Amino acid sequence: MEKEVMNFNTDAAMDVKSIPSELFRKKENNENLHDQAFETKPISYLRGAFMRFAKNKASIVAAIVIGLLILYAIIVPFVSPMAYVNETEYPNGFKDPNFAYALPYNPVNKALNLGWWDGTEVKTGQGNIDLEMYELDDSNHSPIAEKIATVQDEIAGKIQTHYTLRIDSYSIGCKEINVSMDEYDRLVAYEKEQGIYHTEKSIMKPLRDYESYLQRYGDELREEIRVAEEEGRQAPVNENGVIAILDYLETYYNQHQRVWYELGARNYSQNNFAIRHDASNKVIPIYEMNGDEPVYAKENLGKMTIRVDYYDYFTFHNGFEPRFFFGSNSAGEDIFYRLAVGTRFSLLLGVGISIINFIIGLIWGAVSGYYGGTTDLIMERITDIISCVPSIVILTIASVQFTNNAGLKTTIGQEGIIVLAFLLAFVYSGWVGVAGTTRMQFYRFKGQEYVLASRTLGAKDTRLIFRHILPNAAGTLVTSSVLMIPGVIFGESTLSYLGVVNFSTSGLVSIGSLLNEGSRATLNAYPHMLFFPCVVISLLMICFNLFGNGLRDAFNTTLRGSED
Amino acid sequence: MKQKKKEIETEDIILEEEKKPLDVSNASSDDELVLESDRPFLERLGRGFVNFWRNKSTIDTLKYIGKRLLLMVLTFGIVFILCFILVRLLPINEDTGMGDPEKFKLSMVAKGVYRRIDNGDGTYSYEMIPVFLQFINFFKNLFSGTDHPFGYSYKIEWLSSPADILGGRLAPTVLMNIYVMIVSVPVGLGLGTFMALRKNHWEDHVLSVLIMLVISVPSYVYAFVLQYLFGYVWQVLPPTAASSTVGYTSPTYFVSIILPVLSMCFGSIAGYARYTRAELTEVLTSDFMLLARTKGLTRGQATVRHAFRNSLVPIFPMILGEIIGVLSGSMIIESIFNVNGVGGLYLKSIETQDYDVFQFVSMFYIFIGLVGTLVVDVSYGIVDPRIRMGGGK
Repeated sequence: MEKEVMNFNTDAAMDVKSIPSELFRKKENNENLHDQAFETKPISYLRGAFMRFAKNKASIVAAIVIGLLILYAIIVPFVSPMAYVNETEYPNGFKDPNFAYALPYNPVNKALNLGWWDGTEVKTGQGNIDLEMYELDDSNHSPIAEKIATVQDEIAGKIQTHYTLRIDSYSIGCKEINVSMDEYDRLVAYEKEQGIYHTEKSIMKPLRDYESYLQRYGDELREEIRVAEEEGRQAPVNENGVIAILDYLETYYNQHQRVWYELGARNYSQNNFAIRHDASNKVIPIYEMNGDEPVYAKENLGKMTIRVDYYDYFTFHNGFEPRFFFGSNSAGEDIFYRLAVGTRFSLLLGVGISIINFIIGLIWGAVSGYYGGTTDLIMERITDIISCVPSIVILTIASVQFTNNAGLKTTIGQEGIIVLAFLLAFVYSGWVGVAGTTRMQFYRFKGQEYVLASRTLGAKDTRLIFRHILPNAAGTLVTSSVLMIPGVIFGESTLSYLGVVNFSTSGLVSIGSLLNEGSRATLNAYPHMLFFPCVVISLLMICFNLFGNGLRDAFNTTLRGSED
Repeated sequence: MKQKKKEIETEDIILEEEKKPLDVSNASSDDELVLESDRPFLERLGRGFVNFWRNKSTIDTLKYIGKRLLLMVLTFGIVFILCFILVRLLPINEDTGMGDPEKFKLSMVAKGVYRRIDNGDGTYSYEMIPVFLQFINFFKNLFSGTDHPFGYSYKIEWLSSPADILGGRLAPTVLMNIYVMIVSVPVGLGLGTFMALRKNHWEDHVLSVLIMLVISVPSYVYAFVLQYLFGYVWQVLPPTAASSTVGYTSPTYFVSIILPVLSMCFGSIAGYARYTRAELTEVLTSDFMLLARTKGLTRGQATVRHAFRNSLVPIFPMILGEIIGVLSGSMIIESIFNVNGVGGLYLKSIETQDYDVFQFVSMFYIFIGLVGTLVVDVSYGIVDPRIRMGGGK
């Protein structure tokens, strides 16, 4: 401090010497010398605080990031096509289990062919059957984005080939679905309009008829057994073996709806299949045929059974392409959309609870700090008792109690119960911190002369509190309550992550419940489900802390840097 | 030998001379100057103890501790009553799906929740007792020495005592927290000291930003990142904790809890470093440091002998508090890494709605929290005599 003053003095001395002499003039005797009026406007407290805040680059960046996250949370739920899907078809928001665990897809990365964040994944150790299944896909979108490596190794004298493939997780091939007659007519009209009706590129693909193929194949195997027995040879497989093979094949066809060709047991093994080819080495299809024409649709109980390229059908049906920027979860819901909704919920909860806590804490702290003495002692004991019960206890008891209260459930619904339980858990002891800060501020100001003066003039307690003391403490209190928001968001995400509150049956989403979903799916297989919520919550915590610290430094110059 | 030592540690003598007036009552009868640091450790401890009891303020300290203890018991009692009533008001689900419903009802009778009524025809019906009477029954059970004073677990371990279950889960939690402390206290203090010494240099700026980031990011994010990278992608460490059958002290178990320990360390290290830096920079700018430098101590000597010791004053209670806290496990880390500890038990009791266990573990956590604050507050005064305990405003 002293050093600074000295520096200043020597600087001033230097300055005087360096001023050119022509700037000095003699003072006339009758001349009145006055201080010049300030030409600049005085800087108000708020403006000064803002200027100090603007100097803090980290806080500015943090404020911008918070702004972007808020924009994301507000805009995406309104703009996303997922928000406008048919409500009768998707009562709890958009979801399509066929696209479960789809990987994050960024169109820019796809266009630049970067190989990451483009909806593809590298699968190693893929056998022949996998490769052929992917290669012989009759849908419009090839699942193999890239064939990376082929490894041949010898196991027990047999040479086996393994492939490393880059698979597009959105190319899920063809599916057999039932649609209403109206939908079918619209689809046919659409295809005719596009000129793709019953062509290579059509959305509808010929139906499969693997049941009759399995019967044919079973007959073939039994014929082989019969011939072998007639010739007195050892039959390659017995009747039980045939049944097992057919069972296995049927399951395989059921599970892999993209397979549209004949499969046969390799070496009569139950679970090792090979594609069967005809004499001219062509793959034999198992399309359902009506004479020479493949069958595209079949009526079934007033609905049409069709086999469609699911990606194209989805685009036709919903009006948008199934591409998920942050991937999708186990139910096939878009994480980008849900994360925006969850961030909105978490932010609203954080801000709302902080405001409530602020008001309660302010009143409590004001009374306790202003009156002091026994009042203060009793009130302090009460806050002591309140603050030593963790919010998890309150949340657990509240959510169980509310969920079992049928009357409450019908009036405010499952969503209301969750929000109410969170409110109770965080408001219960959240205000204690604000009360403490307010109390300290009151102790600081209540003994000062201007308060005494006002009291002498007959001001009442409420006037002293609200007109004289509180405005002085406002800066400290407001900035400290900004730092409460990340605390609430963190607490909420932790408790929802732990599953203390059950989000699954309600339409609500929070960042914590997304983390919970992500950890229930295995982290190993689908890291994207945890990655994006983690990034958002980390950004929120970092930026709110930086922003809050910046605000505190700007408003309370005396505290600068004391706690950063 | 002694001569040489005296030459080297001149400033030690100065230090002792500073203290000398205080030590008059205990000064040894022989004229030879005996350095305090030359005395055996036990003797020093003993002298400190004697000093402590001769001190006038000791009585005040004891009074203060007594007052705080009483308050603690009172607070705990009120919180216990609150929790007891709230938990007992929760709806009872008789179908636990674990064992005989009749046994469930009998255990409820033993707990003093149900009353058994003889119907006269060999069957019994059960009736619920009001919560207030349940509370009295609880105390009767507690002091009459029944084997289940704290109720029964119905979901986690059929009809066993919550206290026994908790006891069985303490080992991994305590072990993990101790490992965390062993790593984070030295590293955190070291980093903080380094930053304070290099204050306003680039190292300090870089580390300050890093520490701010590390403190802000929730610990479960580290847990996920570590688990994914080390456990799944590189596969160098087991992604989840080993089962308790391998023994908690075995090397296998140690290796398997490296990841949870690491993910808890980040925040802890950052916290210690930030605190040490703040304290040390404050001490480094105080007047007695200037005096120490004027006496001719090098910067390093002055820092280690004068500044560092003094900066430990507020940090030591913090460490003490953490030592008490080793009993309470982190729910989130234990659930991510599947550690069979106290936090995991707490979470499981919430998930399965095993009320007696939930209540017992809740009270356990609250008790540890209360004892922790008490110890921290009291140790402040003991470590630093400048702080008057329970002093007025």
